[in-house]
Amino acid sequence: VPQFGSIPRPPQFGSTQQPVPFGAQPPGFGPPAQQQQFGFNGPQPGFPQQQQPQLGIGQQQYGANQLQNGLQNMNLGSGNAAPQSQQAQAAVNLLQRVPQVSELETLTPPPNMSSQLSVSQSPHAICPPVYKRCTLNSIPQTQALLNKTKIPFGLIVTPYRSLLPGEEAVPIINPPQIVRCRRCRTYINPWVQFVEQGTRWKCNMCFLTNEVPAFFDWDSESRQQVDRMKRFELTHSVVEYIAPQEYMVRPPQPVVLLFLIDVSFAAVQSGMVDTVSKGILKYLDDVPNTDGRTKVAFITVDSTLQFWNLSSSLSEPQMLVISDIEDAFLPLPEDLLVTLTESRSVVEKLLANLSNLSKATQNNQNCLGRALQIGLKLIGSIGGKIVIFQGSLANLSEGALKLREDPKILGTPKEVALLQPASPFYKAFAVDCSRAQITIDLFAFNSQYLDLATLSGLTKVTGGSLYYYPLFNPANPQSIQKFETELQNFLSRPLALEAVLRVRASKGIRMTRFHGNFFLRSTDLLALPTVNPDNSYGIEMEIQDNLQTTTACFQTALLHTTSNGERRIRVLTLTVPVTDGLGDIYNKADQYAIAALLAKKGVEKCLLSHVEAARDELVSQLCDIIGSYKATFTSSGQNAMLILPENLKLLPLMIMSILKHIAFRTSGITPSDVRTNAQSLMCVYPCEAFMPNILPRFWALHSMDAIAGTLDDQTSQPIFPPRLNLSSEKLERHGLYLLDNGVDLFLWVGRSISPELCSLVFGVPTYENIIPGKLALPRVDNDWNKRVWNLIEYIERVRVLTMTIFPGFYVVKEDGDAGLRMAFLVNLVEDKLDSGNSYPLFLAYVREKLNKPSGGLF
Amino acid sequence: MANPFEEIEDQDGIRMSWNVWPTNRVESTRMVVPIGALYTPLKDRSALGLNQPLGYEPVVCKGSCRAILNPYCQIDPRGRVWNCPFCLQRNQLPPQYNDITPQSLPPELLQQFTTVEYILNKPPAMPPVFLYVVDTCLDEDDLKALKDSLVVSLSLLPPNAFVGLITFGTMTQVHELGYNECPKSYVFRGSKEYTSKQIQEMLGLIGAGAQAAPKIVPGGPMRPGMGGSAAQRYLMPISQCEFTITTILENLQRDPWIVANDKRPLRCTGTALSVAASLLETSFQNTGAHIFLFAGGACTEGPGLVVGPELREPIRGHSDIEKETAKHVRKASKFYEALAARISEKGHVVDIFAGCLDQVGLMEMKKLANTTNGFMVLSDSFNTVVFKQSFIRLFEKDQDGFLTMGFNATLEVQTTKELRVSGLIGPAISANKKSACVGETEIGIGGTNAWKLCGITPKTTVSIHFEVAPNQPQVAPGQNSRGLIQFVTMYQHASGQFRLRVTTVARSFADGTSPEINASFDQEAAAVLMARIGVFKAENDNIADVLRWLDRMLIRLCQKFADYRKDDPSSFQLAENFSIYPQFMFHLRRSQFLQVFNNSPDETAYYRHILNGEDVNNSLIMIQPTLMAYTLNGPPEPVLLDSISIKPDAILLLDTFFHVLIWHGETIAGWRKAKYHEMPEYVNIKELLETPKADAQELLLDRFPIPRYIDTDQGGSQARFLLSKVNPSSTHQSQYGGGAAIPTDDVSLQVFMEHLKKLSVTGSS
Ligand SMILES: [Zn+2]
Ligand SMILES: [Zn+2]
Repeated sequence: VPQFGSIPRPPQFGSTQQPVPFGAQPPGFGPPAQQQQFGFNGPQPGFPQQQQPQLGIGQQQYGANQLQNGLQNMNLGSGNAAPQSQQAQAAVNLLQRVPQVSELETLTPPPNMSSQLSVSQSPHAICPPVYKRCTLNSIPQTQALLNKTKIPFGLIVTPYRSLLPGEEAVPIINPPQIVRCRRCRTYINPWVQFVEQGTRWKCNMCFLTNEVPAFFDWDSESRQQVDRMKRFELTHSVVEYIAPQEYMVRPPQPVVLLFLIDVSFAAVQSGMVDTVSKGILKYLDDVPNTDGRTKVAFITVDSTLQFWNLSSSLSEPQMLVISDIEDAFLPLPEDLLVTLTESRSVVEKLLANLSNLSKATQNNQNCLGRALQIGLKLIGSIGGKIVIFQGSLANLSEGALKLREDPKILGTPKEVALLQPASPFYKAFAVDCSRAQITIDLFAFNSQYLDLATLSGLTKVTGGSLYYYPLFNPANPQSIQKFETELQNFLSRPLALEAVLRVRASKGIRMTRFHGNFFLRSTDLLALPTVNPDNSYGIEMEIQDNLQTTTACFQTALLHTTSNGERRIRVLTLTVPVTDGLGDIYNKADQYAIAALLAKKGVEKCLLSHVEAARDELVSQLCDIIGSYKATFTSSGQNAMLILPENLKLLPLMIMSILKHIAFRTSGITPSDVRTNAQSLMCVYPCEAFMPNILPRFWALHSMDAIAGTLDDQTSQPIFPPRLNLSSEKLERHGLYLLDNGVDLFLWVGRSISPELCSLVFGVPTYENIIPGKLALPRVDNDWNKRVWNLIEYIERVRVLTMTIFPGFYVVKEDGDAGLRMAFLVNLVEDKLDSGNSYPLFLAYVREKLNKPSGGLF
Repeated sequence: MANPFEEIEDQDGIRMSWNVWPTNRVESTRMVVPIGALYTPLKDRSALGLNQPLGYEPVVCKGSCRAILNPYCQIDPRGRVWNCPFCLQRNQLPPQYNDITPQSLPPELLQQFTTVEYILNKPPAMPPVFLYVVDTCLDEDDLKALKDSLVVSLSLLPPNAFVGLITFGTMTQVHELGYNECPKSYVFRGSKEYTSKQIQEMLGLIGAGAQAAPKIVPGGPMRPGMGGSAAQRYLMPISQCEFTITTILENLQRDPWIVANDKRPLRCTGTALSVAASLLETSFQNTGAHIFLFAGGACTEGPGLVVGPELREPIRGHSDIEKETAKHVRKASKFYEALAARISEKGHVVDIFAGCLDQVGLMEMKKLANTTNGFMVLSDSFNTVVFKQSFIRLFEKDQDGFLTMGFNATLEVQTTKELRVSGLIGPAISANKKSACVGETEIGIGGTNAWKLCGITPKTTVSIHFEVAPNQPQVAPGQNSRGLIQFVTMYQHASGQFRLRVTTVARSFADGTSPEINASFDQEAAAVLMARIGVFKAENDNIADVLRWLDRMLIRLCQKFADYRKDDPSSFQLAENFSIYPQFMFHLRRSQFLQVFNNSPDETAYYRHILNGEDVNNSLIMIQPTLMAYTLNGPPEPVLLDSISIKPDAILLLDTFFHVLIWHGETIAGWRKAKYHEMPEYVNIKELLETPKADAQELLLDRFPIPRYIDTDQGGSQARFLLSKVNPSSTHQSQYGGGAAIPTDDVSLQVFMEHLKKLSVTGSS
């Protein structure tokens, strides 16, 4: 098991040496045509020539000959454009073009539906892709056509996402009646049609005509004619209904939060207990509680279960210890789960004192499984959230886990065993929780192995989240700030309780697989005891019956109860044209959604088979797409080409980056907890969070113009400098770079940075005075520093809002600590890294695979 | 009160049925009442100025008897040797006795020091432990009253005493007093039977989870037996945890689990006791420890269940037990007996305080107190004087400020070769020591000449029975032929000192037919000894058999010792020192000890437990209550416990030991009602009304438990306590003399005596 020191280290790649650009100039690789340099330009400043590339343990090696042969076979730049079918004009020759990472900023798929076609012709009729996007923005009429493209057909839905600064809120409607199709129960939406002089509406899913209710045109209260086309149901693709009584199974439940806090030796020693209790105390006011009904309970766990009598009649909390964990029971009929408002002072005393209460412990056992079972007993009749703070391996009683991590099998096919649950208990338990309307969230702090592969089953099935603090160091204010900010967002964000997510699609389209954190209650119904705003859901689909209409529609309805007891339905309607043209399908495909969906499928593959199988599949899927595109649009003999349409041109880069991501990389030293965390993030990522995590955002600050970092007048958002490609060749000696990979921020300082910049940004005279490490950028009173801070703070804000991740911030010096440098450089995914080939080599590999199809690639 | 036996009792704490012994075994068996002693080992002798212990070690016989040097030993001052009268061993006197002469003898050799107490030169014992086991299934008032009493009691404990707190209801909670951060308790399921090991593991006393408590006594070395000691997280010196435990007690709430209307509250008394025992037994073995059980009702949950939680199931009565329809009795008794065996083996005491109108299962739990010499207090609620004052009285102190209770006593009896020890009846268990002086006949706890009393007080009185040894060479009756009995009691004084109380008694031998033997009969002691034997038998045998046995013994005694002409009942005469013995037996037969059907099984267990540990005087009050009459015609006088004493112009003060009752005759009750006593001209009536009250208060002074005090009038419902005790001279069926007619089918003393005389003079066996 790798040891984590106090200084954060990236996983070690079998070598302490730094990666270098591939030394040998590949023959036949033409000189760069563009300003941006592509390929290998020999030694770079700061990257000593003499070092040899190191390949990771278990990493596939391509012999030099093999490689040369592969490259020699490429027929690049010879102007042999593909024979054109009508849609292929936009095709991009991948080998000739450097990927334009700046295009990643928008992340939007090619627009393909005109809002003019909606009934209201409102621009809001188009579903914002941040809520819901389809991998295909032209949907094939038939499955056969779909099969031919090899493009996965699916949706990425983020129904309850948090709003970013400046975003418009989802309109709330409270109609006298919620208008739905009589037959298929589709909610009326901007894409229905009005027929029979507008007296009836035709369902855009099943085509049944339904009556238009009178209130659409007549307001009975004001006794006035109204314009139905002004109704949000008809103007907006994302709306939220306040649901009437019949949508409630039972009276709205109060918000219930049960905190299970590990107080065993390791958890106490790590500072977790102190930080967690103080953190919860600090943000008690943030917990949704407008109606004063919110209930809380605490169970502290070691080899015993420690319950807390928090009765408002007490002056201080009372601890009730149950040692008989094999036969655990609730020690009190009430007062364990208390109304926060009433018992506030007792709860505060508990939290203020909790770290004192357990500071002397020697107990090195933890019976989380029992705690969960008893917790379910405690809140099972109401539902709510179980929030686990775990700092040690749950090694006792029900679901006891063993220290099973074996460094010898990391990176081997056997590794998958470590990524699969060790005990069926947690997943089965989570199913019980889902039925009881309970979501489990896990805050994992480890200084040791926690077996997240097993524990993550809890969050996965119940729609919860895993928050992971692998290098938690309470002495570092950054660690505290990260945890506290994330905790605050976690506690304060809106809670949607007792939710179910129903997915409907036009007749002929069928959901086949779902990815994400939920429990699948029936073929199209996901149970989400509480809705996690960060989570998106990946849905794979197939075309069961040929599509007869010109558009296909996907409607997602999220029925939930708000924290103040209102039953609501959030409806997202996405409409996409249907086509019979292959070119249309390719040209309108959404590479971001494709990559995100493939990554989610990849995680599933990892767990079902093994990591290498998932990697192979990712590559094959890319090859399939390229291959089928090529086969469709080029004649034979041009097989040296790697072409994709313009809108898919970044897909190979994304796939390569996915392969280098911790979730998928071939590595003999990635601890399984780290890998599991990465995989579980993959499963829930919306595209917007997924993209920077696989393709980090990288900016040169030293050369940014004066406007960069200032706030845009209209949006109040900072203006970012242009993104750089993820290659170390971008690193200049005198440079200062910011890199955002979605979970961490790095500030790279070149060793020849100008003293002026040093003092502006860091407030120190020289490079030597800059302190590297995990620490905040100093605040210096000047515009330069302010602009850098603007960038950092904006990224932090967005990350917290979208994924509840407060990025760690690292200052990395060019000649500084190797581990720290590695942590940064590993993000430069276009380079050859221990975790994989450089982009050109990756393309070469893809090309080779395409040319030597094995096992019926085509 | 010129009872010669009482003088001896004051001196040595001993009363014997026979004070001259026959030399012959056969003769001895013919005496009917066995040779027995009622011995009060820690008898308070401060009135005689004899309470000062000797500050040196006793001189012990080096023979196997380990007897202690005493005034009956032959000393050869010149050779500096002494002969052990028990094993005949010659012993060297220790050097510090070099200078003794017949004129200057150490106290233990002086005749007036037949009882001495030594302070042993041993490191002091651990301070005593008081573990409170508190029922929370009480109504608010009762809980409040109990909490108040408990808090007061804390202030009465020696500051170094260890205390612990267990509360129970549906579940059992062990409070960790050593935890200062917040109230913390360990909770055990009430419905489950945990093994001792499980409990100790769960409390972290043993096993992986065991955590040592922070050092309790700074610099104070922990001795073996105190353990490491994890138990000190739960049991702490009161001086260090008074605030914590007081706060917990003050905040103690009723058991929070909801009780349906048709149910009893779930009360896991058995689990709570079992947890208490386990908590003490790891780290406090052979430390003086009291488990105070406060029970507000019967155990309805888990092991030791006495009655099911359904209210429609009544708690068992004597008739259910008789008919063997009491379904939980056997199992529950077995559970508590096993627990009692465990606890007494470790030297700990269980005291049971019942505060309940109904029964709490004392019958099933009795062994806990019986075998450990625990206190039993039966009261209607914790809000009664009986409970409150009795409980406080436990913590009585001697003139030096030490608790009067002692701990972990061992009583060993040694006899000279003519006598053998048959057994002991009292609140003790066998120490399994089978010396040569152990006899064949077993009476009570036999087969040993040593017993263990986990708790001991200055009042604790045991009865010990002897037999004349078989096949002994004929001892010539005469001045010098005497037998010796030595009682050696080692105990832990409340000061922590280990002390040794030694009583050596000598009694003459006489020929079996000698009138000296007759004259030496102590009928009071004999009555109490027989009562104890009877009750001991009744615990195991059919009561009717016991009554028959008592009758037979009485008849045989009369046949042997009365003067009569054969077949002429009118000639029947008993010597003075036998004369009231039949009357004691008459009342004993009618007493609550042997007549159970007017009492609940709990009451029976309670009465028997008290009888089993009291001295002769108190026992006699229990057997034959005293009755005082107060009239305007003269000074108060004791009157016969007879219906003839019931007169309308008298006030009667009845003392049954358990009840003190003031009964006002009809006329006087009328006066009282008319408030004559408030009128200045009737100051004599005021006085008449107040004298018995003052006398009653006098009686309460020295009692444990505090008797129930009843003030009633003739015809009042409470008057039944009086009517059930008096000899029914006049019944609704027969009329012997004056006084009130008693509604009973019982025979009167007069009828009883007629029969006795008739049977005695005619019988031959
Ligand atoms: Zn429909
Ligand atoms: Zn001897």
